[in-house]
Amino acid sequence: MGELMQGSLRSATAGAVTVLAVLFLVLPLAVVVLFSFHETASLSFPFTGFSLRWYESVFASAEFREATKNSLIVATAVSATTLVLGSLAAYGLSRSDSRVRDALALIFFLPITLPGLFLGLGLLVFFVGIDIKLSLATVAIAHFVYVLPYFLLIAKAALDRMDPAIEEAAADLGAGPWTVFFRVTVPQVWPVLAGATSLAFALSFDEFVITFFVIGPQSTLPLYIWSGLRRTIDPSINTISTLLMVVTLALFAIAFAFTLRTERRRDRAVPALQVPA
Amino acid sequence: MADIVHTGRATPVAWQEAATTVRPLLLTLPAALGLLVFFVAPLAAFLVYSVLTAGLFSVTGPLTLSAYGRALGTELNGVLAANSALIGLLAATATTAFALPIAYWLRYAAGRWQLPVLFLITASMFASYLVRIYAWRTILGANGVINRGLESLGLVDEPLGFLLYNRFSVTIALVHIFLPYVVLVLFAGFRPLSPALLESAQDLGADAWQRWRRVIMPLIAAPAATSFLFVLILSASDYVTPQLIGGTSGLLLGVQIQANFKAVGDWPQGAAISFLMLAAFVACYGVTLLGLRLLRLDRIRWVS
Amino acid sequence: MSDDQGRLIIDAVSHRYGRVAALRDITLAVEPGEFVTLLGPSGCGKTTLLRIVAGFVQPSAGRILLGARDVTRVPPHRRPVNTVFQRPALFPHLDVGENVAFGLRVSGVPESEIVRRVGDALALVRLDGYERRRSHELSGGQMQRVALARVLVGRPCVLLLDEPLSALDLAIRLEMEVELRRVHRETGATFVYVTHDQREALALSDRIVVFNQGRVEQVGTPQEIYHAPASPFAARFVGDANVIPVEVARASDGNTTIIVGGGRMPAPRGAGIASGPAWLVLRPEAIRLSPAGAGAAPGLLGSIEDCAFRGAGHAYRIALAGRQDVLKAEVAAAPGAQLPLGSTVTIHWDAAAGALLQREPEKQ
Repeated sequence: MGELMQGSLRSATAGAVTVLAVLFLVLPLAVVVLFSFHETASLSFPFTGFSLRWYESVFASAEFREATKNSLIVATAVSATTLVLGSLAAYGLSRSDSRVRDALALIFFLPITLPGLFLGLGLLVFFVGIDIKLSLATVAIAHFVYVLPYFLLIAKAALDRMDPAIEEAAADLGAGPWTVFFRVTVPQVWPVLAGATSLAFALSFDEFVITFFVIGPQSTLPLYIWSGLRRTIDPSINTISTLLMVVTLALFAIAFAFTLRTERRRDRAVPALQVPA
Repeated sequence: MADIVHTGRATPVAWQEAATTVRPLLLTLPAALGLLVFFVAPLAAFLVYSVLTAGLFSVTGPLTLSAYGRALGTELNGVLAANSALIGLLAATATTAFALPIAYWLRYAAGRWQLPVLFLITASMFASYLVRIYAWRTILGANGVINRGLESLGLVDEPLGFLLYNRFSVTIALVHIFLPYVVLVLFAGFRPLSPALLESAQDLGADAWQRWRRVIMPLIAAPAATSFLFVLILSASDYVTPQLIGGTSGLLLGVQIQANFKAVGDWPQGAAISFLMLAAFVACYGVTLLGLRLLRLDRIRWVS
Repeated sequence: MSDDQGRLIIDAVSHRYGRVAALRDITLAVEPGEFVTLLGPSGCGKTTLLRIVAGFVQPSAGRILLGARDVTRVPPHRRPVNTVFQRPALFPHLDVGENVAFGLRVSGVPESEIVRRVGDALALVRLDGYERRRSHELSGGQMQRVALARVLVGRPCVLLLDEPLSALDLAIRLEMEVELRRVHRETGATFVYVTHDQREALALSDRIVVFNQGRVEQVGTPQEIYHAPASPFAARFVGDANVIPVEVARASDGNTTIIVGGGRMPAPRGAGIASGPAWLVLRPEAIRLSPAGAGAAPGLLGSIEDCAFRGAGHAYRIALAGRQDVLKAEVAAAPGAQLPLGSTVTIHWDAAAGALLQREPEKQ
């Protein structure tokens, strides 16, 4: 890393832009959290005082509890399914190298490129067309399609980065393919898989755009917020929002930590392969 | 040493090859089937709907292009398309313009701040889509943070009404939503661009502007163009932001599409608008790829 | 370029990173057209000095003068020096021709001249006709040659090379050394070369600057450094050497002798140290061995600990009788002449072949 001379001014400017951007991204959310503790029902400054009243009223609401429960159910089902099917798919994609693989990879990663609106509408049309009633199950299916590519992206990248020599050594010592997978590969990459699953959970928990179209009479937490946004104008919305953010942020932090841990482990394990920058 | 004895039975090479390349792909089968049934098929069905006859919240038999006629003929659709293009371009431009220096800083000047800042930026991506739009409603409103702040500082007598429920508020919210994503894509694009490359350029006499023009921009062109286009289409298809903070002038095509399905009941028209939108996007993407290919910037082969 | 512009003066340059001193008061004058190598182990500061000369690092103290001009505050893109880095750093979005032309385009050289000069530069590094190739199609050695052409096309007076061959295979490296010497001769530019490979330094340089922990240990021609190292470090680092603690004393017949390995040997002529503790520097190829026993030449006694065949000869490790010191000897091969492991041998050498250096007493 060189000390590019007049670049320090440029770096300082870029740094300033970064600071402003981070503030731009974080402050609005901080304001939402702040007002969830507001003493009065007002959503504007001045901020009069702290109170937990909105938290009390929200937790007391049966609809809120129902919506949260539904979100948890769906997210759990989705992340579990994604973990199993996604790990297998990522391993399959990573360890093969035919042109069929490239075509398959295209299909797997296509959903990311499509706006959620079309995904949701497509599924709505599909379910109605083959006469499946809209419910939490249809939501779970939709979430699975939405979440899988993200999971695959992370898992496949980690599997690709893994040193192939390790699996070859295991095979050489007599381990069959499944043994290799469970005794050698998984112990190597499980933190990444855990992180990706955590991410899948967070993505499903917060999903709104697609859910809006494929849900039945029930509600998930984001949908509950949506209906609240059309109705009430008091800090209870801030409260629910804060709770939702806390959950997804915690899950994301877990995912981040797991991914970091794998990077560090890998770097420490093969110091000889580290090339000086 | 004994001669090698031939048993007369050699394993065919082709079969072996198939076993190592095809067998792993079998593992992808469950997930692939899931996607095939619940993604490819629905999408195909959805697009087919655009050529069916409209019923009320349903479709019926005869194939017809009347939905496209309605889609292209309704004046509102044209207005919304233009509005979506405008807002989309604004959002994409602003996002890319800000993300470039941020990604640059993260790559070359961040030092030990790289990880914490990356975390903060990515974390904001996970702070819930709905909540972020809602947050801007409170900030930009007549009683929101900005107006109250300006009033208390004595800079204005009345709250500024032009901050909310228009194109401006929608654009700001979209930038807020997509900025982290573009930063990550550009940061990934900057990764292989080692400082040695920039030092080489500097050593050969290029000043800062020349380094940007001749080294950085060509190498970052592909990721920047792709993320620009994605922000564009994701913005145009957004139906939540306009409904919450768009007012009357900040409407996007996504709202209209969604309305056709949930409110109006003209499914073929909704599908037709969607198809036209996707076609336009694919066309833009194709043109961009062509341009990149002509400039030989589409597939940079990095040598470590 | 006028002759004088190839002169580089490093004037009392020091540099610290935080509290760590990377360079301490370095002063060096490089004549126009010289090939000077900065030689030292990793972390000794040689790369830092090179980057200071190139302009990527501002020294904490001192000046850099190119020709008569003080360029200490001048940014890299305006200094008349060019650098070849350890890794080729070719621009991946440009083909070979455009890579080489980069500096010329940046300075606004007209198109027709660019084509001609790029062709000349590629011919100079023996890559004629490679203009339209892409970097990923080239081998490591070829990429470094393109990098070399890229800097040479600007006809710099001073060229800095930061371990440019260290990432290459041995065979390619040896070939590139020949290329570098040829290019240096043909261009007449001043080359400042950084490496930790002493063999490379000995082969390429007009003068070598030996670095150790931010200081200059010795400056001299390769022959001077090899045969008359100024310190144990220089002796050990440049060429393999035996550096043994000895005592210098006067013998009864008035000649200076050294007490080493339990015996006495004549002191190297012109040693300059009359008495007291000293280091004896002895190159392995200067040591003669013969089987011990009746009729053997006078010398020290030792036994063979290890023997390795080196093609052109054998490399022995000999334990000196009654001492912990081990001598390394290189003896040219003679058929049937390999000395068996464990056998006792007599060790002697030409009095002129060794060198004596000052030694602090009690500090081994």
